[in-house]
Formats: sequence, C-alpha cells, structure tokens
Amino acid sequence: MTELANQQAETLLDIRGLSVEYLVGDARLRAVDKVSFTVNKGETVGLAGESGCGKSTLAFALAKLHKPPALIAEGEVLYKGRDVLSFDDEELRRFRWKETSVVFQSAMNCLNPVISVNAQICDVLSAHHPEMNRGELQDRARELLKVVGIHPDRLDQYPHQFSGGMRQRAVLAISLALKPQLIIMDEPTTALDVVVEREIMDQLSELKKQFGFSILLISHDLSLMGEITDRIAVMYAGKLVEIAPSEEVLFNPQHPYTKGLVNSFPHLLGEKKELTGISGNPLNLYSPPAGCYFEERCPERIERCKSTDPALITLNPQHKAKCHLLG
Amino acid sequence: MGRFLGSRLLFYIAAFMVAVTFNFVLPRMMPGDPFEIMFAAAQGKIQPEQMAVLKEQFGFVAGPWHVQYWDYIKGIFSGDLGPSLTYYPTPVTEIISGALPWTVFLAGTSTLICLFIGILLGIFSAYNRGGKFDSIVAPALAFIGAFPQMVSAMLILFGLGVILNWFPVGYGYNPDVDAGWTLEFFMSVAYHAALPLLTMIICGIGGWLFLMRNSMINTLGEDYITMGKAKGLSTRRVMINYAARNAALPVVTAVAMALSFVVAGALIIELIYNYPGLGNEMLGAVASRDYPLLQGLLLIIVVCVLTANFIADLAYFWLDPRLRK
Ligand SMILES: Nc1ncnc2c1ncn2[C@@H]1O[C@H](COP(=O)(O)OP(=O)(O)O)[C@@H](O)[C@H]1O
Ligand SMILES: [Mg+2]
Repeated sequence: MTELANQQAETLLDIRGLSVEYLVGDARLRAVDKVSFTVNKGETVGLAGESGCGKSTLAFALAKLHKPPALIAEGEVLYKGRDVLSFDDEELRRFRWKETSVVFQSAMNCLNPVISVNAQICDVLSAHHPEMNRGELQDRARELLKVVGIHPDRLDQYPHQFSGGMRQRAVLAISLALKPQLIIMDEPTTALDVVVEREIMDQLSELKKQFGFSILLISHDLSLMGEITDRIAVMYAGKLVEIAPSEEVLFNPQHPYTKGLVNSFPHLLGEKKELTGISGNPLNLYSPPAGCYFEERCPERIERCKSTDPALITLNPQHKAKCHLLG
Repeated sequence: MGRFLGSRLLFYIAAFMVAVTFNFVLPRMMPGDPFEIMFAAAQGKIQPEQMAVLKEQFGFVAGPWHVQYWDYIKGIFSGDLGPSLTYYPTPVTEIISGALPWTVFLAGTSTLICLFIGILLGIFSAYNRGGKFDSIVAPALAFIGAFPQMVSAMLILFGLGVILNWFPVGYGYNPDVDAGWTLEFFMSVAYHAALPLLTMIICGIGGWLFLMRNSMINTLGEDYITMGKAKGLSTRRVMINYAARNAALPVVTAVAMALSFVVAGALIIELIYNYPGLGNEMLGAVASRDYPLLQGLLLIIVVCVLTANFIADLAYFWLDPRLRK
C-alpha cells in the first residue's frame, strides 16, 4: 500500500493505549500493555507474537468480550470514532456481529454441539433482522454455506457431523452472515492441518475481495500471515514492539524480537537460511523488569536496555518499532 | 435413532428378566417350604384343600425347575401374579393396580416439580453467581435437602399437619367424596397430597438446583457461549438456547440414576403420611408375610423404575443430537 493511499484510507478501528489486566489473587497480571494501532477500512492487519503474549486477550477486549478475571485497565477502542468499551448492553448487542464479528481461536469448540448449524446461522440473522421470515432465513443460510464452500444440503446437520475444516468454514460462514465491516480472527487455522489451512486462507482472500471487509488476523505464524496482510503488528509480553507494512516486517524487520520471529519460520521464497529463532523463555509477567521486556533474551542488548523501557519510535510514517538501538 | 435406543431397550429387557428371575428364585431358596410358612401366616384363612390349588397358581407345580420357571414367566406376561394371601382371593394384580397410581402420582409429580423448579433456580443461581441467592438461598436449600427424608417428613407432618392443622395427615382423599372425574374429587386428592408432595419437593430441590448450577457454570465457560454473546444474541437466548440446553444433559443422566431413590423415598413418605400406594401395601405384605403380594410389588417397582429410566433416555436422546446417527 502506498503512503498516499494510506493517508486517504479511512480509519475503522482505532485502538488507543489499551491495557488489559488479569486479577490473579492479589497480583495484577498485565497481559496487554498500552497497545495502540489502527485498522483501516478494507485493510488486513496481522497481529503476531509467540503464544502467551496477549493476542487473544486483546482480541476479546476489542469486542468487550473479556470476562473476569480480565479487566480493562485503561485505553479506548474507537470503532468509527465511538468507544466500544463505553457501550451499554444494548449498544454492544447491536455492535457485535453486525459491525464486528469474531472467529475464535478454538473455532472447533465454538459451535454449539446440540443445535444444528442451520439454527446457529439463523439465530444470528434473526437477532439482528427480526423482520426476516423463515424462508428468507433459510435462503440466506444456504447461500452463506455455499459462499464458504460447504454443500447447502448439510445445513441441517450438527457440528459433530462436520470435519474440522468444515466446522472452521461454518464458523467463517457465520462470521460473514451480517456482512460486518471488521472480522477479528484469532488463529483461525491453528487447529487444522496445512492442506486445509491453505484452502481456508485462499478462500478468505477470495471472500475479502468479494465483500471488502477489514480483517484483524491473529497468528503466531508470520509466513502464513504475510500472504494476506497489508500490515503486521508484532507483540511481545503484552507490548506492541513493531508495526509496519507486511513486506517491511518480513524482509526488513527492525526490532530484534521481530528479527528472531522472522528467522524462526522458513521463508516463503525458498531462500535457504538457517532457522535461528529466539532463545530463552517468554517473560514472566508477574515480575516485569524495569527496562525493556525483551532485554533478557535480546542478542543485541546494550547498557540502557536494562534500566529504561524504550519508546515506540517512528522510523517512517508506516514503520514503528520499540527499541533503543533505533533511537 | 435405532442403535442407541435399541441397545438401551435391550438393556432394560435384560434387567427386567434378571429381576423376574430373582423373584422366582428367592422364595425357592428360603429355608423350609414357603407354603408351610404362608399357610401358617394366613392363620386359617386358607383351607388345606385350597392349598394344592394355590400352589399350582403360584407356579409351584410339580416338575423340573425349568417347567416351573416357564409357567411363572407365562403367568407374568399374561398379567397373572396369583392371589394375595391377606386379601385372599383378590388377585395381586388387582391390589397393585389400586395402589400403583398413587405412588406413580406421588413420585412422578414431585420429580417433575422438583426438576422444573430446581433447574430454573440452578440457572438463576449460576447466572447470578456469587449473588445473594447463590450464596444464601441455594446453600440453605441444599442443607434442607441433606436431612434424611424421614426427619423432614416428620417435622412437616407435625408442623403443618398436626399443630397448625392446615392439611390432612392421612389417606389419599376424603372418603366422603365419591371417586370419579369430578372437580371435588380432584380438589380432595390435591389437598391430601399437599404434605407428601411438599416433603418430597423440599427434600429434592436442593440437589437438582446444585447439579444444574454447577453444570451451568461449567457450560458458561465454554467457547460456544462466548461466541453466542459475540453474535449479539440476547442474554436470555444465550442463557437458554446455548447454556441451559447443554447444561441440562448431565442433569437428565442424574435423573435416570436418581429415580430408584425417588421411588424408595415415595414408599417411605407413604408410610409416614399413611398415604395409599405401593409403600403401604408393601408394609402390610411384609408384616403378614404375604409373599405373592410382596413378589408382585417388587416386580412392579422394578418395572416402574425401568420405564422411568427409559423415558429419561428418550429425553436425553431428544436433547443431544450427538447420539442420533
Ligand atoms: N483467565 C486468565 N487468568 C489469568 N491469566 C490469564 C488468563 N487468560 C490468559 N492469561 C494470561 O494472559 C497472557 C496472555 O494470554 P493470551 O491472550 O491467551 O495469549 P495469546 O493469545 O497471545 O497466546 C498469558 O500470560 C496468560 O497466561
Ligand atoms: Mg491466543
């Protein structure tokens, strides 16, 4: 995406200084720490980071779906300029799915096992369009299944009769039901084998072209993400450490953590390189250090890293990274 | 449908046959000739010459055991359980068909009411987890339910029946009222059933409430509940179609397992409230060593419990599509 195009792009979702904490006993575990970034209309933004860095926590908070012991410590989630976190129950109910739908990490378990797929598509349609009659609901449900490549005759079956890939497609179909402007996808294909993953990602690109929604795609798999995202944000231990257009992140990463992450996946273009990855273990969030959270594992650390936490530095209007080496 | 229900049905038939066989074997294994005991117990109500006829009626015919067994089975399936000794010559089946409806009414009505209220309160309790109801009323109900039923029954009997005299403490209906399909008769039945039912409901509700509450709390943590919320469905819809529907499955299983206790409870309640029914007949049959009646009663109780279990299976089958093939 060119700079010019991006300036003209309209912001859909604007996350501002969002922090989410878990109350564990007397301790407060800060799983998301002052994260800010935007998702523009029609844009696909990736959110990457190793397991436990707070991606799912962030995703839940965006639709105010977090539940105790999670709480929002600070920040705003502006959707078309209005703060989702300040919505009351009825506003939330109308916002959810109609504006933003969510495909959960455990798509395998997020279909209700005792009601038919048909009923699970129709209930969301009729909750938001009470005027639709039975026939219209059925037609729309069949159409949605067709869109994601499931034969409409399987509409009346139950989730346990679907394979893993089909369930994931069914969830995708449900997420498209109300033609939302934003779909948040939390590791949508992690539970699937590579072939099915491939099919679903291709389908997703296809659907995106067709419907033009924005996607916030969460994954720990950078190479998979790079294929369909416009920009990628990288999180480490709850903090946003780098955000840039996809090619920048993949081929010119600036933050040492991003470099490690890129190196821990085989490259798309087959260029043979030793996979180095990142040594050490993820940070213990119960006792965060005073300086940079990544210092302990960082191969390029300097004196300052131990004492002060670096700010997010703007390298160019499109590229930001949080590292002393860049300042 | 076929596979699951078929195998359950087969299981019930097998269970029934085992019960029937026990019923056949037990009197024959007792020391001494059961007929001598019966004869003594009947205290001259039966003439010696009737004894031979009686023996034959009970299937104690001469011949090898398999012939006897076959005769006995034939008798059961043709609805002939022989005559009672205490009520001789009234057939056992007649006594049972007079007593059965009362017990079924008591056990069935109390179970349905208990389940209905218990499940609703369980949903409410789980939804308002940690609230006043959940932390005060629900444990109190569980506490009451933990009392032996007999104790609660006595307390209620004396409190509401004897001291306050609000409700009758005996009989199924007022003998001055003609039994029939009249409103007066129904009112009388309801009035007399009030205390026994109240006792059974008070004793049972806490258990169902907690079972449903805990099952519901587990279910509320499932991903499909979060997805239901994320879909913007109303809270009521998520609670009922998504949570309660799934949470009810373990409850149905528990109902099937609890049914024999419910029937046993009903029998005791009948004794305490001097209520007509199988329990009262059973007490009489034991006291007067009326073996044929006792055998018949045991058999019918087994049939009742198995039937109720089968109904619970059907309910489970209806609620959980994963069982349908
Ligand atoms: N219910 C919870 N209670 C306490 N801590 C939690 C809870 N859920 C997640 N966490 C913690 O929050 C952090 C972020 O978790 P999560 O958002 O699931 O990470 P990700 O999706 O990136 O793998 C982790 O350190 C995890 O241990
Ligand atoms: Mg996650």
